[in-house]
Amino acid sequence: MQYSLKQIQFTVFILFVLLSSSHNANSQEVVNSQTALEQALDEHKGEVVYLDFWASWCGPCRKSFPWMNTVQEQYKQQGFSVISINLDADKMLAEKFLIETPANFTVIYDPKGKIAKHFKIQGMPSSMLIGRDGKIKSRHTGFFTKKIPEYQQEIEQLLNAIEVK
Amino acid sequence: MKNKIDKTNIKAALTIATTALLGTNNLAQAESTSTSAEENTWEFDSAFLFYSEVDRVSAGEAIFNAKKTFDNEEVLNLKLTIDALTGASANGAVAQPTVQTFTRPSGNGQYEIAPGDTPLDDTFHDTRVQLNGQWTQPLAPDYTASGGVHISKEYDYLSLGVNGNIAIDFDRKNSTFSAGFSYFQDTFTPEGGIPKPFASMLIGDSNDPSWDDDFAKTRIGSEDDKSTADILLGFTQVINRRMLMQFNYSYSMVEGYLTDPFKILSVVDNDGAAQDYIYESRPDSRTKQSIYAQSLYHFDTTVLDVSYRYMWDDWEITSHTIDSRLRIPLGDSFGTESYLQPHLRVYQQSAADFYRPFLLESDPLPAFASADYRIGEMTAFTVGIKYGMLVNNGHELSFRLEYYRQTPTDAGFNEPGILKDVELYPTVDAIIAQVTYSF
Amino acid sequence: MMYKKIQITLLIPILIGTTGCASLGVEPWERDLLSKKEMSLNAEPIDAALDDHIYFSKEASSGGKGFGGGGCGCN
Repeated sequence: MQYSLKQIQFTVFILFVLLSSSHNANSQEVVNSQTALEQALDEHKGEVVYLDFWASWCGPCRKSFPWMNTVQEQYKQQGFSVISINLDADKMLAEKFLIETPANFTVIYDPKGKIAKHFKIQGMPSSMLIGRDGKIKSRHTGFFTKKIPEYQQEIEQLLNAIEVK
Repeated sequence: MKNKIDKTNIKAALTIATTALLGTNNLAQAESTSTSAEENTWEFDSAFLFYSEVDRVSAGEAIFNAKKTFDNEEVLNLKLTIDALTGASANGAVAQPTVQTFTRPSGNGQYEIAPGDTPLDDTFHDTRVQLNGQWTQPLAPDYTASGGVHISKEYDYLSLGVNGNIAIDFDRKNSTFSAGFSYFQDTFTPEGGIPKPFASMLIGDSNDPSWDDDFAKTRIGSEDDKSTADILLGFTQVINRRMLMQFNYSYSMVEGYLTDPFKILSVVDNDGAAQDYIYESRPDSRTKQSIYAQSLYHFDTTVLDVSYRYMWDDWEITSHTIDSRLRIPLGDSFGTESYLQPHLRVYQQSAADFYRPFLLESDPLPAFASADYRIGEMTAFTVGIKYGMLVNNGHELSFRLEYYRQTPTDAGFNEPGILKDVELYPTVDAIIAQVTYSF
Repeated sequence: MMYKKIQITLLIPILIGTTGCASLGVEPWERDLLSKKEMSLNAEPIDAALDDHIYFSKEASSGGKGFGGGGCGCN
C-alpha cells in the first residue's frame, strides 16, 4: 500500500478533528505527536525520509542508532533525513536512552502509539523509507546488522531515483 | 547506569519536534529497563549454593555460566557446574528401639545406628562436574531453534545428554508455540556393584576371609544404565501489557536401572522387630507426564510470578507444585537498583504404588518395593528471600536464603508393635543459601 | 481422569489461539513492561537450575517448565 504525502496529511487532519472533539484529556498530546510528524515531513518535502519507530526498551533499536546517525550524516547533502518516532510510554526513559545513545536526527514523541497504530507497525523496531515523491517505498520490521548493506542500497536507490511527475 | 544528568546533553539529544507533552500519570522511576544483551560481548554469571539438611546431607554447588550473543541474535551458552555432597542419607530401614548394624554399600565395613534413630548411611561423599553447551539460532523472522549437549561425571555416575527445541511466534509475537525434546543416557557404576533385588544385606565382619565371596553373592553386576527421553510442548500468550502466561505439557520416559542400589527395606515381624534387611527393587521403566501453567503479572512496580505443575506417572505418583515469587524493587535506597524477592513453594506428592515404609515377614514379597521416602507420600514447603543490587558499574550481586521442610506422611500402612513407638516418617529440614555475581 | 486433565490444559491454549486471540495480546510498541528481565518466563536461570537439582534429588517430580515467548518481541 502506498500513501501519498497528501493522504497522510488528510488522515492526520481527520484524526485531529476527531480527537479534539473527544473527551479524552490526553487528546492534546496525541494531536501534537501527529502534527509534529506532519510538520517534520513537511520540512523535509522532496527529500528521502527514513522513518524509524523505536523505544528505549528495545535492544535492536539501540543497535540501529549508530547506523542511523551515520547515514543521516552521510546522505544529508543529497537530501536525506532520518525522522524517528519514540514509542516509550514514559518519556523519561526515552530521554535516559538518548543520553546513553545520542541521536543526531529528529525524535518525535508518540507515547500513546497513535502514529504507530496508524502505520500498522508489526514489530519493534520498524522502519519505512519514503521516497522524494512522498510515497512509502519500503518497510522493514526489525533491525539486523547483517542487512545494513541492503538498507543502505535502498536509500541510495531512492536518492538517485529520477522523479517521474 | 550512574550517569550525571547533563542538561546540555539532553538538549543536544532532543530535537525541534518535541512538542508532545507526557501525562503526569507516569510516576515510574527511571528504572533501567533491561534490553537484550549487548552484541558480541560475553555475559558471565557465577553462583555458589550451600544446601544443608539438619543432621543429614550437606552439599555445595558452584555454577559458572558464560553467554555470548552474536550479530544475528545467535546465542552461545556455556555452563560449568561443580558440586560436592557429603553427610548422611536415610538408607530406607526403619528405626528400632535397639541398636542396628548395617553394611556399607561398598561392602567394606559396617556402621551402627543408635536405638530410636532413623538409620542414616553417611558413606556418601561425591564430587560431580557437569558441562552444558547450548546454541540458539533464529531460523526465520518468527522461528527460533536451539540445541545443546550435556555431560556430567561423578565418581560412580556418567550422564550424557542432548536437547533440541523450536519456538514459533504468531500474531506480532503475542503467541508462541514451542516444542522440545531431550535424551539422556546414564551409566551407573556404584561402589560395591549392583545389588541383587531383594537380596538380604550381608551383615557380619568385612574382614572375614569368606566375606568377599559372600558379598559377591548379593551382587548381580558392577554397572547398569538408563535412558531418558523427554518431550515438551508449550504455549505462551501475552495477555495484556502487564501479563504473560505459559502452558506446558511434558511427557517423559525413563528405561533401565531405576533402583537405588544403596537403599534397603526392613523386614519386620508382627511385633515390628526387624528380622532382615533386603535391597530394594524398582520397575525398569517409568513414564511421567506433567501439565504446567505459569503466570507473570507486573503491578505498578512489583512483579508476581506464580506457577502450578501437576505431575502423574505410571508408578501411581501424583504431585502438585505451586511456586511463587514476588519481585519488589527498592529503588536506590538500599543499594543501587536493589530489590527484595520473597519466595514460597508448596509441594505435595502421593506415594508410588510399590512404596512400603517396611515389609512384613508374614506377607508375600511384592514385585517391587522401596522405602525411599522420596517416592513416598509427602508434603514440603520452601520459604525464602532474595536480595539483589548492582555493584561495580552495573554488575549484579544477589543473596538468597531459603528454608526447605519436607514432611513425609503416612500413606496408610499399619504400624505393628514397636514401630508405633518410633518415628517412621521423620521430617527433613534444610537451609539453602546462595550468592550470585553477574558481570 | 488424567486424560481429562491433559484435555483441559491443551484446550486452554487452543481456545486462546482460535477465539481469544483478537482480544489478547498487545501492540508491538506496548511491550515495555514485558521486555523487563523480571517479566521473563525464566527470569533467573541459575537459581532455577540450582533449585531444579535440589528438588529432583529430594522429590519424585521434575521438569515441566518451558521456554520461548514473552519478552520485548523485538526482531
